[in-house]
Amino acid sequence: MASGASPSSSATRSDPHKHSTTSQAEKRAPASKEVSAVIDSLKKKLAADRCISIKRRIDENKKNVRGITQSTMRSCMERGGGSYKDGSDLLVKRQRDSPGMKSGVNASDADKSNNHSSFLEDGNASSTTMVQGSSVPVKISLRPIKMPDVKRLSPYTTWVFLDRNQRMTEDQSVVGRRRIYYDQTGGEALICSDSEEEAIDEEDEKRAFLEPEDFIIRMTLDQLGLSDSVLEELANFLSRSSSEIKDLTTEDMNTEHLIQARYEVLMKEKEVSESGDNQAESSLLNKDMDGALDSFDNLFCRRCLVFDCRLHGCSQDLIFPAEKPAPWTPPVDENLTCGANCYKTLLKSNRIPANGTTEDKTGTSSDGAGTKTTSKFSGKLNRKKTKTFPSESASSNEKCTPETSDSENGVQQDTNPEKVSSSSKVKASGRRGGRKRNNNRVAERVSRRTQKRQKKSEASDTDSIATGSRSASDAKHKDNEDATSSSQKHVKSGSSKNSRKNDTPVDDSKNSVKGDDPFSQSNAVASEPCSDGSLRKEEFVGENVCPGGLSEDKSWRPLEKSLFQKGVEIFGMNSCMIARNLLCGLKSCWEVFQYMTCSENKASFFGGDALNPDGSSKFDINGNMTNNQVRRRSRFLRRRGKVRRLKYTWKSAAYHSIRKRSTDKKDQPCRQFNPCNCKTACGKECTCLLNGTCCEKYCGCPKSCKNRFRGCHCAKSQCRSRQCPCFAADRECDPDVCRNCWVIGGDGTLGVPSQRGDNYECRNMKLLLKQQQRFVLDAYRKGDKLKFANHSPEPNCYAKVIMVAGDHRVGIFAKERILAGEELFYDYRYEPDRAPAWARKPEASGSKKDENVTPSVGRPKKVA
Amino acid sequence: MSKITLGNESLVGSLTPSNKKSYKLTNKIQEGKTPLYSVAFNFIDARYFTCFVSAGGNGINLYNCLEDGSISLLYAFADEDKEEEFNTASWACGVEGNPFVVAGGEKGIIRVIDVNNEKIHKSLVGHGDLVNEIRTQPLKPQLVLSASKDESVRLWNVETGICILIFAGTGGHRNEVISVDFHPSDKHRFVSCGMDTTIKIWSMKEFWTYVEKSFTWKDDPSKFPTKFVELPVFTASVHTDFVDCNRWVGDFILSKSDEILLWEPILKENSPGEGTSDVLLRYPIPNCNLWFIKFSCDLSLNYLSIGNEEGKIYVWDLKSCPPVLVTVLSHNQSKSVIRQTAMSTDGNTILAASEDGTIWRWDAINKEQAVTVEAQPPPILHQYRRREGKSQLKQVRGSGITVIWYSAHNNSSSNRFQLVFDSPPFDMASFDYRDDMPMPGVVGTMDGMQQKQQDVSIWF
Repeated sequence: MASGASPSSSATRSDPHKHSTTSQAEKRAPASKEVSAVIDSLKKKLAADRCISIKRRIDENKKNVRGITQSTMRSCMERGGGSYKDGSDLLVKRQRDSPGMKSGVNASDADKSNNHSSFLEDGNASSTTMVQGSSVPVKISLRPIKMPDVKRLSPYTTWVFLDRNQRMTEDQSVVGRRRIYYDQTGGEALICSDSEEEAIDEEDEKRAFLEPEDFIIRMTLDQLGLSDSVLEELANFLSRSSSEIKDLTTEDMNTEHLIQARYEVLMKEKEVSESGDNQAESSLLNKDMDGALDSFDNLFCRRCLVFDCRLHGCSQDLIFPAEKPAPWTPPVDENLTCGANCYKTLLKSNRIPANGTTEDKTGTSSDGAGTKTTSKFSGKLNRKKTKTFPSESASSNEKCTPETSDSENGVQQDTNPEKVSSSSKVKASGRRGGRKRNNNRVAERVSRRTQKRQKKSEASDTDSIATGSRSASDAKHKDNEDATSSSQKHVKSGSSKNSRKNDTPVDDSKNSVKGDDPFSQSNAVASEPCSDGSLRKEEFVGENVCPGGLSEDKSWRPLEKSLFQKGVEIFGMNSCMIARNLLCGLKSCWEVFQYMTCSENKASFFGGDALNPDGSSKFDINGNMTNNQVRRRSRFLRRRGKVRRLKYTWKSAAYHSIRKRSTDKKDQPCRQFNPCNCKTACGKECTCLLNGTCCEKYCGCPKSCKNRFRGCHCAKSQCRSRQCPCFAADRECDPDVCRNCWVIGGDGTLGVPSQRGDNYECRNMKLLLKQQQRFVLDAYRKGDKLKFANHSPEPNCYAKVIMVAGDHRVGIFAKERILAGEELFYDYRYEPDRAPAWARKPEASGSKKDENVTPSVGRPKKVA
Repeated sequence: MSKITLGNESLVGSLTPSNKKSYKLTNKIQEGKTPLYSVAFNFIDARYFTCFVSAGGNGINLYNCLEDGSISLLYAFADEDKEEEFNTASWACGVEGNPFVVAGGEKGIIRVIDVNNEKIHKSLVGHGDLVNEIRTQPLKPQLVLSASKDESVRLWNVETGICILIFAGTGGHRNEVISVDFHPSDKHRFVSCGMDTTIKIWSMKEFWTYVEKSFTWKDDPSKFPTKFVELPVFTASVHTDFVDCNRWVGDFILSKSDEILLWEPILKENSPGEGTSDVLLRYPIPNCNLWFIKFSCDLSLNYLSIGNEEGKIYVWDLKSCPPVLVTVLSHNQSKSVIRQTAMSTDGNTILAASEDGTIWRWDAINKEQAVTVEAQPPPILHQYRRREGKSQLKQVRGSGITVIWYSAHNNSSSNRFQLVFDSPPFDMASFDYRDDMPMPGVVGTMDGMQQKQQDVSIWF
């Protein structure tokens, strides 16, 4: 017994590790008899509680039932009072007129036999005689009314043609986690249990404490204190009652630990509930992102891109590719607003009324509209920022241009600030020119810096006025100061340059300070202003921004914040896209924008001191998992996912007996592909390599990985012979890998059908086919329409297992020219001795094979 | 049996009949030689409450139960196809209130008989295999559900002959569906059970427009856009064997496998498909191991009757908790399996359809309905004192009675406490303490605290 800390020491309570080490019980342990008496009594109390609750519920239901039945009765009465009252109702008439039959059977002595009335001699005979009762035979002619024959359908099982029909053995509708197998005669379903999963079950259940168990634990420990013997008794009791686990001491110890841990949990809960802050609004929104993403990680299939994929199961390993895709650039017009709450609209509406003089860039006087937005992307930081920008002309005042640009990591350039200064022409070119127009950009930057320096000098003029209000202004400024102090050298000057439009009193100003080290590095050309001027971008956001700035941090719930962060990763600083796609219904574009501008301060702060030396930051889209923040799935969700992992294909696979094939990837089609998680080019430890599969595009390794299948270079529709490496390796050509054979293009209209040509690809189907003597496919409950294709010893099609996007699929290919309307056959490939009569070849089964063909083979099952 | 976890025990009925109500055999009809699988009273139309239908072989017969215990034959229908073997029959009615009988069986074709016109109104073709049960929606008796061996449940409009919905597929049954039942008050909901040992609650709420459409459909019924409902609202695994009968009792469900369970489906509102089932009561039925033995209830759900393999009929009181067996009906000639019973609306008549082709009629001896004679307070056996504010456990010596009492939650004003007895003849009984009992308050001192003591009586 390694446990037994005192219940009073809060230190040990909070630290479960100490429990295992400290073993002195401070209190005298109560006798085990006493403990068991308490437990028994509690058990009885529980039983009594249960009894009472059942009674209460039954009583409630009784009332419910009474109401229902009364209304039913009423409606019955109403129906009776409807039409046919006049006696035209034949049934009523018959009811009245038909003579009653009184049988001679008495309740008192029922030993007189043969005393029964018979209306009909035989159910299907048209008997006209009816013998009544014991003594008096009465003849009534009652000829059964014939129901005309209706031809029956041939038997079938209702089968819904849908992909979702995939689910069969792993269906949760079967009790427990058991699977259905079909016996060889093809009739009944045998329910077999999967011992492996059952074992896990028990483990799970042992750990899950039920409410009544909690109750017993709590009450017992409350009464008797926490000590070894109590725990032991409890463990005994619980393990005996919850599952018939033998009293293994290890089990007990386990349970004891669990009990102890559970008790602590319970106590904490109690404290929480007693402390009285009932935060009932523990809605979904208060969950954090990782929790929410758990289900995504567990249920979303990264290969099929659907939730709850039946093919690969859930709880797949999370693969984070080493190569990150470029952040998505919206192909939208800058001027398009996303709705009524779009920040563009709101900024515009703010600006225009205040915008009397348009010339002033720096906004010394009455220009309340100097709202500048620009996005800055530092390639290394992978962080996007939005800035507001002074516009030089009135026309461009209305344009706020959040720019998203690539942050491709391999290339050194920081594809950063597309700054749109004045004309739309420049803007357009700047947007395009992420990489190519470095010169242009540099030039622009230089000019901009100088502008900004001017601005700052002027801003500092107004600083004296601004400081008064700044001291009273929101915490954002403080943040800025912190941020700048930690990240920048010119803190003081930076923060002191917080300027605001003083002459528009409604306007408030906010400062956002960018920490852009990479920016300055890469722009050494535009040297002089880097250290001070370019680092400071004043933002003059309209009045709507800053009032929000005070409260918005609080109104943003954790989930929303994380969603926002994700959004930035995906869309860049595009509040329209973020609001629409991620925070739909939660935040408007305008709110997102506000938050974005505010959070920039923090971002810069963060980027300033928490920047990883290798340049990847917290906001790194794809690399974030590579660092210390590998997202862990909670056990809870994983357990749920476990149920449905497909097993039947590879469980039955006999890996060792793989016949060598003549391709360069010899045994490749026989192996089940599982994406590897390599970060660099796959080496010897790559799971794919070890498993004998190629790396696929789902792997984490970069494209340059040696283990990847290279694809073919065939011309279009030439992939038909073994000359084509794809064909030789039994792989379907993959447009991501093969160069030419696919019609590559954005339209996507041409590629698929023409490529698959005249063969029939059976998606996810389970054919009655033995693949390579290793897999058996059973199409009883799923498959597409080709599952109905019949067997023939002389087929006109053949089935071939090909690798499609990492999965083995069965394609049915034409063997010969097939005319429209011809029935498709293929060889089911029964083993000669196992084949049912109808599937035997003529010479094997003899002459009378056809006679045995029954239309309802039902659930054919072939055994490997 | 599903594992019973601590604190989730259910109350099991004892098989000692209370004889609260007794029945006597009043009639026996030999219909034919073929087994009868179904017998059903009309619960749809008050005019026909005495009418019942029996189904077996290729024949469907309509009878009338007369007051004096006799039975009159009203109609006899026979399928021309001798292969047909009807498994089930149910009453329904057309939009004008004209009575229909809907029957189905071996061939999977559902026959809708227009009783007044003595002809087939519709033949509903669609099931891929035999039909195990047909039930009528009590609120809208034009709708029937059929449970079939083809693993589907179908919703039909018997007036227009349209198959409105098919409940099968992804979340559907994985073996024969044996029984269905409409929810008595929620017209969107029904329950189905079958050989895959599960019980599924389905909802057709999203598809209700199709149901409405089916009434106004003028075109060919086969052109109706029949929809598949693939996911049930809830799947319960309360049994481990074939479940061959289920009925709603309010929001609870009675389901029968090797015993009848009354359980409550507890659905999670915001996550469809999830939920738990809480088995409350168990009604054991001896010798009832064959499948396709179905029970029936009266209209007001006071009683439940079920036959067994030996030809006996068990009548349970559904209102009592723990379950009370009312009576066992047996007769020395009744030896073969009783596949289905039928209780009349008032529960005073029980019909039993036997496999030897006979229909047995049992009538209640005393037909007083709703006998509510308040029992005299039983003699006081023991008196105990109760201290307030503390849980206490006491073993009463000699009696084998364990008493546990505790006061209810601190702030709750109702001084509830419970007693548990585990002495025979009570396996376990429990009593609620009511505040309205006359109770002289006694003030005593305990642990330095003033505590109120009250006398508590235990009655037997």
